Amino acid sequence: MKRNKPLALVAGAALLTLAACGGGSSDNGNGDGGTDRKIGAQEGGSKDAERQGPAPEVDGAAAGGTITVYLPGDPGPDSLDPTGGWSVTGNSIQQALTSRSLTQYSRDENGQPVLVPDLATDLGTPNDDYTEWTFTIRDDATWEDGKPVTAEEVAFGICRSLDSEAFPSGPGTEYSKTYFAGAADYKGPYTGKDPNCEKYDGISVDGQDITIKMEKPFPDMDYWGAFMAMGPAPLGNASKPPNYGTKPLSNGPYKVDSYKPNEELVLVKNDQWSADSDPARHQYADEFVFKFNQDQAKVDEIMLSDNSDSQTAVSTGLGSGNYNDANAQLGDRLVQQTSQCVSTLTPDYTKITDINVRKALAYAYPYEDVWISGGEVPGVTRDYANSIMPPGMAGKKDFFVDGEQIKYDPEKSKELLAEAGYGDKPYPITMVYYEVDPLAKDAQDQITKGFEAGGFSVKAIPVQESPYNIWLDPDNKVNKKLNLRGVNWCSDWPAGSTMLPPLLKTDAVYNTAFFSESSVDDEMDNIATLPLEDQAGAWGDLDEKIMTDYFPIIPTAFRNDLFVFGSKIGNPTGDGSIGAPNYKDLYVMQ
Amino acid sequence: MSAETAGPETLGSLSNEPEHQDPNSQQAKEISGKSPLRIALGRLARDKVAVLCALVVLFFIICAVFAGPISKLFGVSLDTGLASEYVDGLNNGLPKPEMGPPNGPFTWDHPMGVAPRTGQDNLAYWLYGCRVSLTIATSAAIFASTVGVVIGLVSGFLGGAVDKVLSFFIDMFLTIPFLLAALTLAPILNERFNTSDNYSTIQKISLICVLAVFGWMGTARLIRGEVLSLREREFVQAARVMGMPTSRILFKELLPNLAAPIIISISLMLPAFVALEAGLAFLGIGVTDGVSWGQMILDAATPVYFRDYPQYLWQPMVGVVALVLSLNLLGDAIRDALDPKTRR
Repeated sequence: MKRNKPLALVAGAALLTLAACGGGSSDNGNGDGGTDRKIGAQEGGSKDAERQGPAPEVDGAAAGGTITVYLPGDPGPDSLDPTGGWSVTGNSIQQALTSRSLTQYSRDENGQPVLVPDLATDLGTPNDDYTEWTFTIRDDATWEDGKPVTAEEVAFGICRSLDSEAFPSGPGTEYSKTYFAGAADYKGPYTGKDPNCEKYDGISVDGQDITIKMEKPFPDMDYWGAFMAMGPAPLGNASKPPNYGTKPLSNGPYKVDSYKPNEELVLVKNDQWSADSDPARHQYADEFVFKFNQDQAKVDEIMLSDNSDSQTAVSTGLGSGNYNDANAQLGDRLVQQTSQCVSTLTPDYTKITDINVRKALAYAYPYEDVWISGGEVPGVTRDYANSIMPPGMAGKKDFFVDGEQIKYDPEKSKELLAEAGYGDKPYPITMVYYEVDPLAKDAQDQITKGFEAGGFSVKAIPVQESPYNIWLDPDNKVNKKLNLRGVNWCSDWPAGSTMLPPLLKTDAVYNTAFFSESSVDDEMDNIATLPLEDQAGAWGDLDEKIMTDYFPIIPTAFRNDLFVFGSKIGNPTGDGSIGAPNYKDLYVMQ
Repeated sequence: MSAETAGPETLGSLSNEPEHQDPNSQQAKEISGKSPLRIALGRLARDKVAVLCALVVLFFIICAVFAGPISKLFGVSLDTGLASEYVDGLNNGLPKPEMGPPNGPFTWDHPMGVAPRTGQDNLAYWLYGCRVSLTIATSAAIFASTVGVVIGLVSGFLGGAVDKVLSFFIDMFLTIPFLLAALTLAPILNERFNTSDNYSTIQKISLICVLAVFGWMGTARLIRGEVLSLREREFVQAARVMGMPTSRILFKELLPNLAAPIIISISLMLPAFVALEAGLAFLGIGVTDGVSWGQMILDAATPVYFRDYPQYLWQPMVGVVALVLSLNLLGDAIRDALDPKTRR
């Protein structure tokens, strides 16, 4: 899932983050304003197929009021079309408030996200080898115009996700297209001139039952069902893109009142939504106002002032310069949320072929200095990473490649380089940085200093577009010179299958290391065929094996987000499934 | 109501025109041996504001020229170690107490403190920022005024079709919005040169070019106007009649008479370019390697740092403001000295 926000704010190795939707937890701070916030332990991967509506009331919750959400430095989604949504911002808002799908996450009392049914009555029934999934659609869900949500509409919505030309950056391009039977040959309802999706037979409707056939085993279909792309769409032209994206028909507790892309989104109560039909959503506030592209410094001042405007406001970010003040002043209204993301450096596997050189890079990277100069708070918004799988993912192992956490150690780096036969002269590294952002430039300075102390020579190329545009473009002349790239990657759900294959499988789009080992590819394919209960452990083992045997990618940090809640916002919590405020359970204290 | 025309009496009382003097008087003898520029310099030296501004400008020039030795004298440099040695990541990235303000006492190791987040030494960056600022502004001013003077001379003196064409170009360049052009050019230049080893030098040279390309028109117009009136004067006519080549008339006859407007235009162009350089660096489309007052201001301009560590923002601000202000006032004073008939 794409991360829009950090373009300007998150400097360092990479700027945009893809993917986030998975299990996780939040540590709600210590309440006493202490400074020892730590990344919360996560378990992840729990499910409850029996959960039924209405969702349990939040203690002390009251109805009414308007909640204003400031999104500093975050342009927000370009379109509200559920099928096209694959960004942390858009999905977190729409999935919680307007657009229902087959399944959804609910936050349990420990802060863990639990996968529960949504439009389906349970979490779906797979056949033995996970090549066919059946979901029964509930009959009491309604659209904002009062009409019932039918199984045909859900099936049509799912079918839309197969149109990778109409929704080029939608998540369907990654999952529906890969797993659904015959999806590769079907162009989709719009590109394929099949407005009612009649020519595709991978999805069949029988009464309230929807059956999806898979091309290959897909045990994670229930998690994939939590994406709003796996939700209903009005049949025919009513939901034709791109117009549908400006005012999608809502079926959740709120509906779109007005939407100005990159500026503002106003959601108001949807009186047709019935709480009985929904196992996890609430409808406490009268109105949600999302303000995109806010200035971080301005928002920080508003939130810290605790005036009448900010008491009912939420901010999805906090400037690192304000962390101490905020931590002391706000207590548990400053929420730290793991974002299920890992920042990485990816040495080009075809150019840096010696594992010792890759390890030397890991020892020469001045982790804390990069975080500090990039505007992050060490140990709070960034923490040392030991593996590719983020904390809380089912099956993650706490192994250390060299017996202990790799930290900045230039001497060790030099030793490793000497061992690899590059001891006599500096090993050349070519990388890019985002020149427009002074934070990125400062972070790059630290990286350069660290690498040079560790026996490398660094050529840092300044670029004025997103580094992802360089890294992902095989024909880019700058990209051809690079031997060190980077990716920030977040899981789509708490399974290793959304972390390891996208980053390390041969020819995966975001495999910017160009790592390619057929044994690893085979193992990835093999894990998908294992019994479900063994898969998590198998991904964890594979993670350790890859890191120990090949060390193809240098995890530089696990990432956390900070959210600020106004003093009259009730239940200030984060949504561990996606790395956003927990919009579903917020209310305004009366 | 009939308009009162200015009679000879009123003119006399308002004018600074030297009164008619006896050529054999003491005063007249003093002046007679001096060139007009000497006289102007004398006037300038008597102007207290001008002298003060000249001293300030001189200070900045010394800082810029001797940035290296001065840094060495204080034991500071642009080379900084890793950030965590200087700043405290858990305290908003502010400098550690032993690095001086805001959390510790003044220290001679870092006379102007260190920058939050990165630990760069403020004094070293300030000195080298001054050098960058003055180098770019001076080169661009020289470049722009040379182009402006040549085009103004040629267009004013030759007239006719040449004048029409050149005036068209002057007008055309005046219509191009500077900031927009700079914003457009920055990514193009980056794309073209970012793999070069001398990227930061190329960046500065292209900045000089951009400033000059959009800065010569004023001078060109001014000079053209002056030339239009000069070329009908007797000494020019005489030179023509004697068959002097055009280039000689332009550069030997006209140019010396244009010294005053040229000096004035350069002296007013300098502060404008200093401010523009800082402004562009602030916007991230000028110098981007951090060694620039504009970039220092950009780093410091957050409410948090300003509240906890105001001197971090004041240092580059004072630099820009003092330099621009004194250059401007000095330019005004030079104009007054060279052209005493202008009244303010």
